[in-house]
Order: sequence, then structure tokens, then C-alpha cells
Amino acid sequence: MDTLVAQYTQPKFEKENYSEDDQMELYQPTPSLSLKFAMPPVAQPSAWLRAATDDHANPNCPIKIAHGTTTLGFRFQGGIIIATDSRATAGNWIASQTVKKVIEINNCLLGTMAGGAADCQYWLAYLGMQCRLHELRHKRRISVAAASKILANLVYSYKGMGLSMGTMCAGVTPSEGPALYYIDSDGTRLAGNLFCVGSGQTFAYGVLDAEYRYDLSDEEALELGRRSILAATHRDAYSGGFINLYHVKEDGWVKHGFSDTNPIFWKTKLEKGEFSNVTSELV
Amino acid sequence: MEVLLGITGKDFTIIAASQAAMRGATILKASDDKTRALNQHTLMAFSGEAGDTIQFAEYIQANAQLYSMRNNIDLSPSAIAHFVRGELASSLRSRKPYNVNLLLGGVDPITDKPSLYWLDYLASLAPVPYAAHGYAQYYCLSILDKHHHPDINFEQGLKILRMCTDELKRRLPIDFKGMLVKVITKDGIREVDYNDDARVVCP
Amino acid sequence: MAAMFSQNPLMNGPNYSFNQAPVTAAGNKEHAFNPYTDNGGSTLAISGSDFAILAGDTRSTSGYNINTRYSPKVFKIGGTTSTQDDATLVLSVVGFAADGEALKERLDAIVKMYRYQHGKPMSVKACAQRLSTILYGKRFFPYYVHAILGGLDEEGRGAIYSYDPVGSYEREQCRAAGAAASLIMPFLDNQVNFKNQYIPGSGVGHELQEREKIPLPRNEVEDLVKDAFDSAVERHIEVGDGLQMLIITKDGIEEKYLPLKKD
Repeated sequence: MDTLVAQYTQPKFEKENYSEDDQMELYQPTPSLSLKFAMPPVAQPSAWLRAATDDHANPNCPIKIAHGTTTLGFRFQGGIIIATDSRATAGNWIASQTVKKVIEINNCLLGTMAGGAADCQYWLAYLGMQCRLHELRHKRRISVAAASKILANLVYSYKGMGLSMGTMCAGVTPSEGPALYYIDSDGTRLAGNLFCVGSGQTFAYGVLDAEYRYDLSDEEALELGRRSILAATHRDAYSGGFINLYHVKEDGWVKHGFSDTNPIFWKTKLEKGEFSNVTSELV
Repeated sequence: MEVLLGITGKDFTIIAASQAAMRGATILKASDDKTRALNQHTLMAFSGEAGDTIQFAEYIQANAQLYSMRNNIDLSPSAIAHFVRGELASSLRSRKPYNVNLLLGGVDPITDKPSLYWLDYLASLAPVPYAAHGYAQYYCLSILDKHHHPDINFEQGLKILRMCTDELKRRLPIDFKGMLVKVITKDGIREVDYNDDARVVCP
Repeated sequence: MAAMFSQNPLMNGPNYSFNQAPVTAAGNKEHAFNPYTDNGGSTLAISGSDFAILAGDTRSTSGYNINTRYSPKVFKIGGTTSTQDDATLVLSVVGFAADGEALKERLDAIVKMYRYQHGKPMSVKACAQRLSTILYGKRFFPYYVHAILGGLDEEGRGAIYSYDPVGSYEREQCRAAGAAASLIMPFLDNQVNFKNQYIPGSGVGHELQEREKIPLPRNEVEDLVKDAFDSAVERHIEVGDGLQMLIITKDGIEEKYLPLKKD
């Protein structure tokens, strides 16, 4: 009864102007990365959001969120290799061929992006902020284990709300050595030597598993990472564009180019004789 | 989670099929043969709906053999592939279509050229240098893209097959009980002794 | 009968856009929460070596109806006054016009506050990041808009940032958004980034050399924008009426308005 009364005693046009909070937000010098989110005025926000944004659940959904990716990361003797494609798709539409799916959290931590682009960008930026705060508070760099756990706990607290991300955190710290973690929006967090994430993951796994060894040289590792992404862009229509390659070492990460797949594909085919099923003859 | 793989080389075609016969969550048999020889040098591997697979395969086998007996000559792999496609296409337009995916491997008895045909239940036919059906496609095609060359010899072919089956053992969540491997050469079809006992783990 | 004259596109017969109210098998209308509509139109942005152009058509539609022939989609952001004479940033929004308006107001207020507090205008880079967080702040109740932000970067080069509805963003050379994005974007790939253009006589097959990528001069970019919209108008019903262009240079923002076909 009390709730009923409360409901009907609210002034009808209370929210007509900006609320105190909204106005405060405008004054604050650094509001940016907060945990306050606007919610739709319905009983089941997550179900409503799914109807509006999930093109699997509802092919006519008004808001198409970019999906589809191949990303990989593996640990080896010389550190960690991170490689991604660069295609963003919304349904069958290629929204972009130049997406930066490796997110530079700071100069020694990298994150990768699969699933919702905005979710990954926002939460990895938020993670970057938390990592910096940890440095300031504790006067030393955060471990990859701790950083990945911040992210895992964070996304777990939003479980069921429709976040969509499959990400890897890679870094080298004095305490851990090279460390690679897989985190997804279900709340899974796994440490491991080798992960591939995204719609093209199986194709990347195929090439990567076949020749992966921990004692790979730096050059071999970079080439294997590049070749695995190439394999995925060749077989998975939702992957493509450019190959983004990073090498994470003890003294930070090094970028090894953002290179167009098309010339790499033809070079691989013509010089090494691979992709023998691709012919120019009609049968 | 049935696995079918096919690889052609210089003078041979390898066909490999998983040995598990599964119904629901049960493995009924761990030494199933999902292949049928259609004549001296054409072999067909099949997967799909239980019942449909063997019925269709044996129907094709019987017709191929009938042709050989009547005409005292075998159909070429290419001719058989197109015959199978026709049968599958008319079945598709019937009241109860066969739900079968096929790989057809052979060596042409006249030209000695190896060949491999990929067919799915919608009667798509494609001649290919290497092929896979089911989940195996997702893991093996990228390996084959990288390591296959048209002029490989039999040992190299087996080595690539080993890379593929190792990857499947590593990443598929269900045990498919190893592979039955057969090879077709100009001398006919023979089974290959394929040791599948080694344990493979994720790195 | 009331339905026929209703302004509400949900009640008018066959509807072009996605927002038809869900109907059950019996034909009864469900009272679902359906806060979005698509007002059509298209926007386009191209950056050059010392300028950036943002453009949008000025038609606003609901289903097959044209609401108005002049409703701008491109706005100056963060000037000192409401006339926005000294603004340095431009925002274009396409999709749901009400959300676009709300987003523009919100960003404008924030950029203005920044100017008052810091005594200098906001850089595009900072504004781009801020816009991303604004959009993500409504991650669970999104602004149904595709936004593009334009300005000049620290080195004075043109800068274009494009966004998805929930705030993922990227700096790009050019971007088309909205109803005719799929018509305009391939044209831009070819004409701005010279995709699939090769040097004539450089060989055949794999010997072909790609045309060198150079930033286009302003007059050529303006022509491209006009051509892109003229073509989009020919093939898309939601695009037309007028073309509004805002050109950002170091001397300020210049506005151009050109008529488009009105059928």
C-alpha cells in the first residue's frame, strides 16, 4: 500500500528539467568514465535492450552493434604475441575495415577487442584508469592477474545486462613474467598460453596449434601470429581488413604494423604456394 | 560431431572419417565405417541424419556397381559425382529428402588423376583439392590452406592429415574415437593403418 | 479512420521503417515500450590536410511521410553563445532525430562548460573521447543515432571521428552514416581513399600499382560531397530536399546550403 501511495504522490513532471545530479554532472571537471548508466523505464531493461540491439534475437532490431572478429594471443619464450584483424560488421554491412582491435591500456598492458566494440573500448579504458590508480596508490605497477580480475569482476557485475565482450589481457611484469588472460562478458577469466577469440577463432586455432611451440623465436612467433590471422580472414567472412600485430616484452609492447591482408594473401599464395584451392579458372 | 576429411595429392586421394557412431549423448560404436567403395577406385564417405546416410550410400553403391556389371567398365569419379549430385537433388525435391553430406574421393582409371568432390545435403557439388564436413571445416580448412600443395606425396598427405586430426582431438569437446583412413590410388582402395592413440593436449 | 490522419507512423498502414508496433497473431497491438523511430536522412564527413567537411541532407521522414524539408542534422558545438559563431567543433547526427537533438544539446552544454572552466576551447581529441563516454552512459538505453564529430587537430589537420550508437569510436579519413551510408561509403572508399584504383599502364594482374594516396584539396572534396548526395537522392527515398555543409578551417566554420531534388 505504501508503495502504491508513494507512486501516486510523485509530482507528475518531476523529471522535466535536468535533475540535480544531471546538473552536477555538467559542473564536474572530470566526469567521464563513471559507472552511472541511464536505464530504460521498463520492468526488464535487459530484455528490452535485447529486443532493441541484439540482431540474433531480433533481425529487425533498430540498433545494430558491431560484431565479428578474429583476435589471438600467445605466450612464448620471447614474450607475448597479440594479433587481430580489423573488420567491424553490423549484419552483412562492413561498418569499418580499419578498427583498432588492440587497445593499449598502458605502455606494458594490452587488451584485445571482440564482441561489442563500445563495450571493449569503454571498459578497457576504465581498466586503464583503475591500473593507473593502482600505480599511484601502491607505487608499483599492477600485475596482469590483478588487472584482469578487475575487469572480470566488473563485467560479472553487469551479467545478464547484455554486455558482449571477449577480450584478452596481455602484459609482462617482473613478478609474473609474460602473462596472458582471457576474460569474457559471461564472467570467465582464464590464464593460459594461447587463446583465439571471435567468429574466426577456429581457423586461427587451426594454423596456430599446428606450429605453436613455447621456444619459437621472435621472428617465427610474429610470422605465425600474422599467418593465423590471415587464415581466419580467408575463411571467416566476418573477419578481414588489416592485420594488427603486437609483441609484448618485458620493457613494454612493440607494434609490428597494421598491414593490409590482400597483398599479404597474394604474397603467401604466390611465393609459398599456399592456398592451393584458390584458382582463377572456372570449373 | 561427425568428422569427414579428404585430401588429394600427386597420385592419390585420402578419405578419413571419424569412427564414433553417436546417438544423442551415447557412443554406440567406436569402430564405425562411414565409407562405401563405389567401384575399384572411387570411395564415398558420408555423414548426416542417422538411417539416411547408409540407405543413400548403399543405394549409390548398388547403382554404381550395377553400371560396372552392365557395361564392363567403371564410371569415372567425376561421372559418379555428377550422378550422386543428381540423385541428391531429386531427393531434395521429394517429400522426404535424404539429409546426407558426402565426400567422394577417387582416381580416374584412364588418366590416373586423383580427384575429390565435396557434396552437401542441398546437392551442392564442388571439385576441391581438400575438403571437410561438419565442425572439422572450422578447424581443418585453415590448416589445409596453409600446408596443402597439389603435388604432395602420400607421406606428406598423411602428415597433413595428422595435423588435422591432432587439432580436432585438441579442440573438439567430444571424443570422435579416432579416424578410419582409406586411400585411393590407381591400384585401388586400401585402408591405412592409422595410429590414433597419442594424447594431444592444448598448449 | 483516425489512423489514416494520425501523425503517429505506428498507426499508418504499411510502414517502411522498422518501428511497426509488434502485432500478435490475433492482430491486437501489444503495448510494448517502443521509444525509437528512424527519421531517415544521411550524413557524410571528409577530412583534408587543413579542413574538415561535415554534411547532411535536411529531409526528415517518418515511414513514407516527409515531416519537413528543412531540419538540420549538422551542428556547431561549444561556441560561447547560442549563435555558435566562435565554435570550432561540428557534430552530425543521423537516426532518431529526437535522440540526435538531445545528444547535441548534451554535448554542447558539456563543451561550453569546459570552455568556461578551462578558459579555452575543447580540443577535438578530448571532445571525441567525451562524446564516446556520453554515448556509453546510455549503453542500456541507447541514443539511436550515428554520430560524427569533426574539427581540426592539434597540428591543424582535419579530424573526423565516427561513432556507433553506444560510443565505440575511431578517427577516420571519411565516413558516411545514416540511410544512404551503404550507397555513399563505397563511393568514398574509391574517391577519397582511392581503393581499387591503380596507376594506368603499371602492368597487369599482380604488377598493378596502387594509386598513391594524397589528401584532396577543398574544392574537390566539396564536389565529392555534392556528387555523393545527388546520387544518394536518386536512389534513396529518405534522402533529399537540401544539403547542408559545414566546412571547418582555421578561420572558423563556414556554412553552405545547396538545394537537392525535392521529390
